[in-house]
Amino acid sequence: MKNANQPVLSGKEQWKILARLLTYTAPFKKQIAIAFILLLIMIAGDVAGPILIKVFIDDFLTPRTFPYEPLVALASAYIVIQVGNVFITYFQLMKFQEIALKIIQQLRVDVFSRVQTLGMRYFDQTPAGSIVSRVTNDTEAIKEMFVSVLVGFIQSAFLIVGIFIAMFILNVRLALFCLVILPVIFLIMKTYRKYSSVFYQDLRERLSQLNAKLAESLSGMTMIQAFRQEERMQKEFGDTNQHHYNAGMKNIKIDGLLLRPAIDLVYVLALMIVLSFFGITSFSAAGGIEIGVLYAFISYLDRFFEPINQVMQRLSIFQQAIVAASRVFLLLDEKEAAPKQERVENAHISKGEIEFKDVTFSYDGKQDVLKNISFTARPGETIALVGHTGSGKSSIINLLMRFYEFNNGQILIDGVSIKQFKEETLREKIGLVLQDPFLFFGTITSNIKLYNQSISQNDVKKAAEFVQAHTFIEKLPDQYEQKVVERGTTFSSGQRQLVAFARTIAASPKILVLDEATANIDTETEEAIQIALERMRRGRTTIAIAHRLSTIQDAELILVLHQGEIVERGNHQELLKRKGLYHKMYLLQNGLAEEQEIS
Amino acid sequence: MRVFLYLMWFFKQEKKAYVTGILLLLLVAFLQLVPPRLIGVVVDAINNETLTSADLIKWMTLLLSSAVGMYVLRYIWRVMIFGSAVKLGRQLRERLYKHFTQMAPQFYQNRRVGDLMAHATNDLSAVQQTAGAGVLTLVDSLATGLFVIAAMAITIDVKLTLIALIPMPFMAILTNYYGTLLHKRFGVAQEAFSDLNDKTQESISGVKVLKTFGQEKEDIESFSSLSKEVVDKNIAVARVDSLFDPTIALVVGASFFLSIFYGGQMVVADELTIGQLISFTTYLGLLIWPMLAFGWLFNIVERGRASYERVEALLNQDIDIKDKPNAIAAPPKGEILVEIDDFTFPGSSTPSLKEVHFTLNRGETLGIVGRTGAGKTTILKLLMREFEGYEGKIMIDSISIDEYSKSALRSSIGYVPQDHFLFSASIKENIAFTNPALSQSEINRAASLAHVHEDILGFSSGYDTVVGERGVSLSGGQKQRISIARALIMNPEILLLDDSLSAVDAKTEEAILSSLKETRNGKTTIITSHRLSAVQHADLIIVLDEGMLVESGSHEVLMKQKGWYYAMYMRQQLEDLVEQGGHAE
Repeated sequence: MKNANQPVLSGKEQWKILARLLTYTAPFKKQIAIAFILLLIMIAGDVAGPILIKVFIDDFLTPRTFPYEPLVALASAYIVIQVGNVFITYFQLMKFQEIALKIIQQLRVDVFSRVQTLGMRYFDQTPAGSIVSRVTNDTEAIKEMFVSVLVGFIQSAFLIVGIFIAMFILNVRLALFCLVILPVIFLIMKTYRKYSSVFYQDLRERLSQLNAKLAESLSGMTMIQAFRQEERMQKEFGDTNQHHYNAGMKNIKIDGLLLRPAIDLVYVLALMIVLSFFGITSFSAAGGIEIGVLYAFISYLDRFFEPINQVMQRLSIFQQAIVAASRVFLLLDEKEAAPKQERVENAHISKGEIEFKDVTFSYDGKQDVLKNISFTARPGETIALVGHTGSGKSSIINLLMRFYEFNNGQILIDGVSIKQFKEETLREKIGLVLQDPFLFFGTITSNIKLYNQSISQNDVKKAAEFVQAHTFIEKLPDQYEQKVVERGTTFSSGQRQLVAFARTIAASPKILVLDEATANIDTETEEAIQIALERMRRGRTTIAIAHRLSTIQDAELILVLHQGEIVERGNHQELLKRKGLYHKMYLLQNGLAEEQEIS
Repeated sequence: MRVFLYLMWFFKQEKKAYVTGILLLLLVAFLQLVPPRLIGVVVDAINNETLTSADLIKWMTLLLSSAVGMYVLRYIWRVMIFGSAVKLGRQLRERLYKHFTQMAPQFYQNRRVGDLMAHATNDLSAVQQTAGAGVLTLVDSLATGLFVIAAMAITIDVKLTLIALIPMPFMAILTNYYGTLLHKRFGVAQEAFSDLNDKTQESISGVKVLKTFGQEKEDIESFSSLSKEVVDKNIAVARVDSLFDPTIALVVGASFFLSIFYGGQMVVADELTIGQLISFTTYLGLLIWPMLAFGWLFNIVERGRASYERVEALLNQDIDIKDKPNAIAAPPKGEILVEIDDFTFPGSSTPSLKEVHFTLNRGETLGIVGRTGAGKTTILKLLMREFEGYEGKIMIDSISIDEYSKSALRSSIGYVPQDHFLFSASIKENIAFTNPALSQSEINRAASLAHVHEDILGFSSGYDTVVGERGVSLSGGQKQRISIARALIMNPEILLLDDSLSAVDAKTEEAILSSLKETRNGKTTIITSHRLSAVQHADLIIVLDEGMLVESGSHEVLMKQKGWYYAMYMRQQLEDLVEQGGHAE
């Protein structure tokens, strides 16, 4: 299911993505330089080992002369290089991994920051799970590639070059012969990549089909059983399973043909070149053969192939990472940004007067969800929005909060368009309480403060007292330091609501926007909430969405919305007298007793 | 290693492949000894100046044939052993799937789809690994290790072999220790990663709050420090991970040094030729893999065992609802008698149905209404034998439903569920779900009856439009009507509509109900609904409250009673009015 919308990338696009990924290495130039120096030293040490043994064989062992001092020097050099190299290898490996991890950290923060700047529209259209996946899983796939493919590739490439340099130093002609290995390996790699990328892709596709089928059957099992389709579904699943098996076998075969067995074959072929070379040379140049050189060449060949094997086995990681990176870049290039403020001189919100002037708004550009909305909330007044689901109440709040950009009409606060305030001013002066109070992982205190460090512990307590949350918080074992689990599920919805109130009050806004909770709230907290709401509204201009009409009877102005239009306006009494929509809603909510009257 | 015993049945089943595969593995392990040996022989010949071109050609031919032989054999054993492992995966998956289709809803009530999926994917792949890489590692590391040591001791020198092997156990011990350490740190790193995942999830779900308080920047900082944590934990992993290569290099280096040191002395003492010494060092290189493989093997096998046990436990779950030995295979008609005295869902403490008695003649329509959780759907579930274990009896055509085979019973019932589940397939396939061989005209007819035909024609690919996760998204009402068409195409003796008209508008609801009335002459229909308009015309309406039958009768009778039904009816009238903006049409 995961790669259902997997983009198909051409070779050129893949290189482009890789190139873009590599731009993330730029800030680490220095560290990378150090890592490369370590790598070079390590390879020099690696390559030196066989040369020392060659010296031992040719200069001492073959002629059977064993002068004490040079021998000790040789042995010591060998030991020092070996042991020294152990440490350098370690640091070199560490350094590369560290750099890779830091690069990914940078990429991750970039993606996350990008997400934070996107408009609500993007969040409406994209499932949360897929955004999370971009930020974490996809970047993790890229990390895998950096750590195990790129680094391995660089190390292998350097080692190969190092070995060839040593070979050329030892014997130019033989080294030239050995160069034949390179195109052969390259050819095998290219062929493998060509086929395996297709086969591997196919295998993943089959696997995702298999899993999709299984997941779907599990969730639809009642249907399958109710309609007696068990056998047919078993057969269908069997087919998918068979396809997956076939794809698996194809991969095993291509791996068997071109991976380790093939590389091992090349190894023996290389060995034949070396042995034949020395063999043939020995026919003409009697006694001139340096066995040590022969040893060194064989020893190099032994080391040559293992890194290649490893790189080839990891090619599939590369493929996946590129696809993951393409998705990450797509998100980074996302254009659905949050509404921008127009540059203005310091406009302040002092009184808190809100005015909607002829505002028309549409989410999709086709269907208007708000049509010519106009109203004024004078400082300190409460305006209640009521109406059926989808009538446009939430849209009014969404615009006032600048979650969405609108183009028709004006929204003014203290006579200034809300597009012309600094964003911080708006955020500071307008407090929103959401319908579903969202609590973050942390403590009660951290939830009331959020990230605002200017709020003191005392402020937190005062805010909690003000909204009546203090009573229940005091009873908690850890009081204000009580742990809040994800989404605060250990608290009742009423308690969560109170904490959210305290959070809003702690930020001391001038304007209050309330989206009343629809969820059932226990009677105990219900009372506290009502008192809190009333207190919070005092002295603040309030725009409230009310689901229960009983809570807004004292509002200065009630706007009744239907299909994006204000169909009735007035205070509670006026609206009841009109016997219109509001009246009917009121009857609906106030029990059966009055119902008989209208029927 | 117990897992190999668990898997014995499979090894027996795939005897040929495994025996061949293992024999070939042994042969390859043996052939591996050829190149180092030949190196020694050639070196000695060159050194002693006894090499002739005939000899060289002979040796090279031998080398080449051993290499080609190994290539072919390696390919074959891979196909044999890894291929069998994939087969095991396929086989277990198929068994699991079959088992899933036989399990009653009770089984699914206690388990999440995600967990079941995990068994079918992660656990199976761990078992598959054991049957493939596990077998390979066990055989190959043992064989290669023993063969190489034997070759060193026999063809070269026992004493030198023993000396050179001294450092080798350190490699096994150290890498094994690193492995455990790595595993632990990896766990910590995974946890940090999952914290980061949670944090991201939270920030995205709470994005409105963050925007409201203008704290995006602070949140990015918090994310950044958490992701730094992830980096630190991963660096801790890297610290151990980076130990492997240097350690191997150190141990192998020590072994080499010892070989050259003592081997050199032996060469001088004429106990050894230079060629043998070079062979010997090449053999040493072959020993690295078996030493590493052992630590690895324990890991694979341990995971395989745990996974196999989980899968086995799942497969051993009994099938809850079985047919009686001589179950009636003839599908029943539609005369229904329900006398449920008490039914409690397994695992629940409060009864879901109490004293629900009613009868329905063939061809009649029953309406079931009541609040959410009143037990409306439960009656349907019992009728379809999704659950058993109630007190009382349910009979169709005067025979208890337990006497019918499940298949016979269900072939008489057309069920339209509440949550209108459609499969990721074309609309055509979804409607013809009960019988893919149905003709297009039959499909059209069912769709027309469900009043969704016009909608379907409106889609770009018509009846071939794919729905579900990968396809177009349909409105709730469209999905409901396709589900209805799916049930109607069976022309079932008994039709169950489980609140299946909730998402269609009042007019369409009426149209569907009246076309049902016309075409389902003499067939029984049961409708559960929140909206009373859907059951208004039923022959019998029962009202449930907390599992008990509180009112029953026709619409007219119930309205006169002025009880729950009446109150709800009035309320819904008012609701309709509000929804239309306060003006009656």
